[in-house]
Amino acid sequence: MARTLRSFLVFALLVSLHYGVRPLLPGRVLPDFLVIALLLAAVRLRPGASAVLGLLIGFTADALTPGAFGAAALAFTVVGFAASWLKAVFFADNAAINAVFFFAGAWVADVVFLLAARRLPLGEFVVQALVWSPLSAGLTAVVGVALLLVARPVLDAGGS
Amino acid sequence: MPRSARSDARLDTGLFVACLAVAAFAVILPPALRDPTAAALRRTLVAPLVALQRTAEHGRNALVMHDAIVRARDSLALLAQRGASLAAENDRLRELLGLAADLQWGFVSAEALKGRGPGEDYTVALSVGASAGVVPFSPLVAPEGLVGTVLSADPGMSLAILWAHPDFRASAMSADGAAFGIVKAHAGRGASRWLLELTGIPFRQQLRPGARILTSGLGGTYPRGIPIGTVIEERKTSEGYARSYLVRPAVSPAELSAVMVLLPPRVRAGAAGVWSASPPAESVARAGAGIRDSLRRGGTAGVTLVRPDSAATGAAGAPPAAPSAPSARPRPPADTGRPPGGR
Repeated sequence: MARTLRSFLVFALLVSLHYGVRPLLPGRVLPDFLVIALLLAAVRLRPGASAVLGLLIGFTADALTPGAFGAAALAFTVVGFAASWLKAVFFADNAAINAVFFFAGAWVADVVFLLAARRLPLGEFVVQALVWSPLSAGLTAVVGVALLLVARPVLDAGGS
Repeated sequence: MPRSARSDARLDTGLFVACLAVAAFAVILPPALRDPTAAALRRTLVAPLVALQRTAEHGRNALVMHDAIVRARDSLALLAQRGASLAAENDRLRELLGLAADLQWGFVSAEALKGRGPGEDYTVALSVGASAGVVPFSPLVAPEGLVGTVLSADPGMSLAILWAHPDFRASAMSADGAAFGIVKAHAGRGASRWLLELTGIPFRQQLRPGARILTSGLGGTYPRGIPIGTVIEERKTSEGYARSYLVRPAVSPAELSAVMVLLPPRVRAGAAGVWSASPPAESVARAGAGIRDSLRRGGTAGVTLVRPDSAATGAAGAPPAAPSAPSARPRPPADTGRPPGGR
């Protein structure tokens, strides 16, 4: 119970960081705290529950981007379900593998969002998907690993 | 695979498909349904996050605008400083106007331009010169009192020394006329350099701190009664026959921007009652007549006021009724410091 509560608090903290800290950061390449929160939760949930959580997180993001309503929900549903399904393969106790996990999750979420949103012309979509999205995903991976190292003692502490 | 595991997998897949369906349905929603749905989410479940994001964006805007705000604030501070100096200058001019009303005639007003170079701390350039009637050793006065004396007068400008100049001397007396001496710049260091020294006071005469020191009129350079300063304390000197006092000057050099130069006729006629008259604020109210006359006599560099009953004479600063006026020849600034009658 205590472990579930701690996981929830870390999840809430990451969501808060996404809306409270991310707008303060300069530049176009930004970490996606929602993806990190979803991936950290997904390894502790069943794939179905992760898909539902992804849907809810996605709708939260969509509420603030009404022009692409549903796109983030679709992207996070896919990422949540896939992350939970693949957790046995990828989510090992290894920082490099975790970084790849975060990178792939953030990139896939971005690409699915762009595809679903259908807001960009082809040229811009390619640039966004192959340049900016990987850069953001890389930063997300770095931040995610750092946060995982910080939060691991809390998440893995004893308790039911 | 155990039966329960297969059941869980089917449940997971079912939930995933259902979520995909909901999300896909949201994507294809028409704007008429999509926007109200998003708005409803923003107003309810997502409201705290919206508020958080708004706060963060305000913070970012504040960070981005910080430099611009600092620049704007600095500009405003600069404007405010200018406003204060303008207000001070306005007050100063009002005081001069009041003094002009009291003097009524026989002076020219001038701008005092301070030099910035080394050795120019105690001198000023005046915007009036010999063409306005200024001659060497003409007294320089301000509403507070004596400022200095003219050193040289060119046609369009003149140079003057302030009371802080090492060569400055003035015959002085206590306000009650009981003690006479010579005032000169105090040769101290630091802030005390900007004090005056009253020397030559007979030993039997003692002045108390706060006593007013005025020009005595002896020697003819300065009219009698112009405030010089107030006594601070007695100085310990080796002279056994006379006392010396430190005097706080009536006029601060830092406040000098506009001054008045007393012309020789005015010096000869004296300035009795001018500085002991009503305060400047009341004098301003009486300035009207003097201003009219000054405009009548106004030159390019300054304003000369003439005695009202002498305007017809056309002589700047020349009193009409001065049959026994002494010669206008300039005199040296050093006075005797001794009262008539061998005091």
